Amino acid sequence: MTIVLTVLSLVNAWYFLFGNIDWIMPGASHPVADRASDIDGLFKFMAVFGGGITIFVTGYVIYFAIVFRARSTDAPDALGIQIHDAPKLEFWWTALPTALLILLTGLSIVVWYKIQFGTTAPALTAEVIGHQFYFEYRYPGLKTSVFSKTEPMHLPVGVPVRILITSADVIHQFWVPEIRLKMAAVPGLVQNLNYTPLRTGTYEIACSEFCGVDHSLMQGKLVIEPVAAFNTWLDHEKKEAATASAAAVNLKAGDPAAGKALFAQKCAACHNNPPTPFDQKLVGPGLLHITDDPQHPNLVTGKPPTPEDIAEILENGFTGPIGTMPSRQANGLSEKDVANLVAYLVSLK
Amino acid sequence: MHPGTTTHDTHEVHGHIHPPPEGFVRKYVFSLDHKVIGFQYFITGMLIMLIAGSFALIMRLQLIDPQGALMSHNAYNEMFTLHGTAMVWMVLIPLVTGALGNFAMPLQIGARDVAFPWLNMASFWILPVAALILFSSMLFGGPHAGWTEYPPISLADGTAGALWCVAIFVVGISSTMTGMNFMVTVIKMRAPGMTWTRMPLFTWATFATALMNMVATVALSSATGALFLEHVFNVPFFDATRGGSAVLFEHMFWFYSHPAVYIFVIPAFGVISEVLPTFSRKPIFGYKMIAFSSMAIALLSFTVWAHHMFPSGLAPWLQLPFMILTYAIGIPTGIKMFSWLATLWGGRIHFTSAMLYALGFLITFTFGGITGIFLASVPVDLHEHGTYFVVGHFHYVVAGGAVMGFLAAIPYWYPKATGRMMSERLGQLGFWLFFIGLNGTFFPMHWLGLEGMPRRYASYVEFAKTNPDAVFWNRFETVFAFFMAASIGLLIFNAIWSLKHGKLAGINPWGARTLEWTISSPPPYYNFKKIPEVYGPPYDFGHPMPYRNTDNEIEPYPEYGKVVMPVPAAAGA
Amino acid sequence: MASAAAPYPSGHAAVAARYDAVDEVYRETRDIRLVGFVLFLLSDCILFSAFIFAYVYLRNSAPAWPPFVDGRQLPWFDTSFAAFNSIVLFGSGVTMHFALENWKHLDKATFYRWLIATIVLGLGFLLGQAHEWTGVLHDGVTWPGSAMGASFFTLTGLHGFHVFVGVCYLTILGIQASRGVYTGSKYFGLTAGTLYWHFVDVVWVGLFFLFYIW
Repeated sequence: MTIVLTVLSLVNAWYFLFGNIDWIMPGASHPVADRASDIDGLFKFMAVFGGGITIFVTGYVIYFAIVFRARSTDAPDALGIQIHDAPKLEFWWTALPTALLILLTGLSIVVWYKIQFGTTAPALTAEVIGHQFYFEYRYPGLKTSVFSKTEPMHLPVGVPVRILITSADVIHQFWVPEIRLKMAAVPGLVQNLNYTPLRTGTYEIACSEFCGVDHSLMQGKLVIEPVAAFNTWLDHEKKEAATASAAAVNLKAGDPAAGKALFAQKCAACHNNPPTPFDQKLVGPGLLHITDDPQHPNLVTGKPPTPEDIAEILENGFTGPIGTMPSRQANGLSEKDVANLVAYLVSLK
Repeated sequence: MHPGTTTHDTHEVHGHIHPPPEGFVRKYVFSLDHKVIGFQYFITGMLIMLIAGSFALIMRLQLIDPQGALMSHNAYNEMFTLHGTAMVWMVLIPLVTGALGNFAMPLQIGARDVAFPWLNMASFWILPVAALILFSSMLFGGPHAGWTEYPPISLADGTAGALWCVAIFVVGISSTMTGMNFMVTVIKMRAPGMTWTRMPLFTWATFATALMNMVATVALSSATGALFLEHVFNVPFFDATRGGSAVLFEHMFWFYSHPAVYIFVIPAFGVISEVLPTFSRKPIFGYKMIAFSSMAIALLSFTVWAHHMFPSGLAPWLQLPFMILTYAIGIPTGIKMFSWLATLWGGRIHFTSAMLYALGFLITFTFGGITGIFLASVPVDLHEHGTYFVVGHFHYVVAGGAVMGFLAAIPYWYPKATGRMMSERLGQLGFWLFFIGLNGTFFPMHWLGLEGMPRRYASYVEFAKTNPDAVFWNRFETVFAFFMAASIGLLIFNAIWSLKHGKLAGINPWGARTLEWTISSPPPYYNFKKIPEVYGPPYDFGHPMPYRNTDNEIEPYPEYGKVVMPVPAAAGA
Repeated sequence: MASAAAPYPSGHAAVAARYDAVDEVYRETRDIRLVGFVLFLLSDCILFSAFIFAYVYLRNSAPAWPPFVDGRQLPWFDTSFAAFNSIVLFGSGVTMHFALENWKHLDKATFYRWLIATIVLGLGFLLGQAHEWTGVLHDGVTWPGSAMGASFFTLTGLHGFHVFVGVCYLTILGIQASRGVYTGSKYFGLTAGTLYWHFVDVVWVGLFFLFYIW
């Protein structure tokens, strides 16, 4: 029996180690990101040993049940072997799984360390913001967001990326099965994922934390493409965004009174209203004296912010250490609204 | 008041003997008898299981088509929320602690009732009230946030969400009271001579469960209480824009809900530890290790809650201890598993339906435990979290562990509870239906999840486009889910049919050796005419039963004068 | 504080002897209830711990503490009055201890005096808490307004509710005692009441540290 079970376990091990398991773990044979192969390694380790244990337990349950069954020839009060314990046996079946678990812990820690701290100096930082029921993506230098409803997310292949993840409403999760890693988008909290995409292609993005009625429709596409193609795409997006909004925002035309009303309605959830000095934070910082705050003169660009800088943040959003401010589109603001808000904030000198 | 009644025989004092019940209401409705309360839990739990189980079937039917075959997303979300909530708090916990614990534990320790019979009755009557509150929330649009009810999404449910909180708060109080009651019962009311190492293993399991019930459930009450305050008074515990934290709820919730898994699976461990030796005709292997590992699991279960939250805003350095502690829980579980396997070795195995369920449990629960190890590893969990892999894993643990154990307990204790045997033929047919249905339903979920199907999906159009096999496997699961439903239907039919037509059981139909098998079936309301004395361990087959003072020839209703009945005390005294 | 005039045998040995001089049924009942009551207090302790955990968690994840609401930083709680009020509550713990001791030493009259003192101090603490709440509300810290207010009012409210229940409980115990429910040997109800009252005290130590010292 032991031989049969050993053979079965070895077949199981062989299958997980050398077989094509792409149908279980999509992309296992051609890793899409650098962490995917690490995680698959752990998965295979557990599948080999866990599968073996399952096979042995199941096999012995069935084997014992057959071999030690009560027979019709038995005396009616026939008993089994009256044995209470076997310390040596017990020692080994405690020690071996413990050793296996310690080994597994070690391997898990190695992979865990790579995931958490392994990526130094990401070359690209993208932001993902969960909404009911779509993802919003932001790229450095790109004025408008990319929304998964209409357009895929783009990442360059072979470049270490950091993805900052947060949510504008409820908890979501950002997950690309082929990349293996997922992270929750929690309101009021910015988390990150770091990895290097390794293989071009188009992959599904799914929200894997229940987020409301249409949770099952919250998908997106991730396009991993060569760096040149990615840059072309990004430049194209930048150009389009620039032509679309260049003429539209006329900061001079802003109305401080309308801005004040809008501030109470749209901004007060995260910024103190009425505005306080910069260091008095709610979720975001206080916005009083924003253009001439003596304590924080170097707000964004190293100079006291100009109205244009404020408009830029309103347009693109901002990610700081304690949270992410959504972009203009995500906040549901028109360009006229931006002008009004800027006029209001500048008037608070 | 003064419990000032005097007695003639000190052995008769042990335990409280409340007055004999008179009249239908006192006997069957507001009964103080732990056995009747056990029945009440059983019937209520099974009724709610029918409702929650039919929700599961409706969900499975929805998924035969990627578009969703039956209903709107909203209705589907309501179904899985109520299925999870009702199954966890109003079916499993009441069945394994309320029904089995109440019926068997006092009998196994030679007590006449639990420590606080009145509290026990109150615990039970809270349950139907909580169930009514929960299901009445459907009239207000129903809760839609899943059984975990994470804010902020749950806060959108309005009145229905608030009612969910009330129902869970209330049923949590019932669990806490039961836990406290059982702990005191086991600590203080064991028969003379029943040392801790002579306690039957089901009692050990009930004790470990009671500890978790008492400690962890209060944390759940706090979490649901705070969520209720946020619903009704807008108190910002969890609202990030006003200084609250959504992750805080996850912490408070899982501090309870991880032990909750063990709350319903450890009593099942206890049942298995009773059934295996009885039908193998040999002592349980490694008694002390099994008892010790129950307690170890109970204690460790308080330290692993955040493994449900690896991707959800847990600081990276916190992930490590939770991962390691979760692995550590695998060790006592493994010890138990191997000890049960060794109990089979060299036995004389009788294939009764109880034994079949126990053997099935060994297989399905092992698999559920192994997939648990997969989920405990932070890196692998980052892939598996929130997918059908998790659904498959915990249904193997819950249906393949807790429910299998419960189903083993039904035919095992049914003769003791009713005086008649259940039909073996129906019982064994029921086992095969359940075992095949369980594996057919939940096994394919593992690879569906790994391929990329998130849980709580009312439709899976996009997923089915990239993974065309998903449609086949979802239909496959739906077919097998009906096998399980048929098995439960068969069980209910069997239980009712056997009440009248079953063979008479006698005192000890299985040749089992714990104390409940020394008294008549069904036991009289006071259980033991004389409190027995215990002078040996419980599972030594072939030796005389290690009990003195047992009187098998009990008249069903002796004069009350012989047994002293102090009146239940008023508050305070 | 055992009265010298007590016409009963006094001293700890006598107390212990009386404690044991009960019938079997009472002894079992008392033991069972004692364990049950301690377990009840333990579970109650976890209720407070959960909300204390919530407070610590929220405070540590906030960017500034006290937090800002509507552009204004909330003020710290006023320690001086709370310290005074704490002394009132701790004092009531001491008086309750003396009450029970006197009952054990069979000095009923002194027992009643200490018991009434405890009840009065308990009520005084509740009044003080009402005053404290008014002040805090006046400072702009409200229950639904901020995480600080949410934790403060929930925890102190929960504790205040426990004190209120305790006052009622002690009153009932006093009435029961005057009706002869308890004797020099059989006074489990009084023990339970004292345990409960000490528990409420101990919880307050934690809350005082959390809100007024930390």
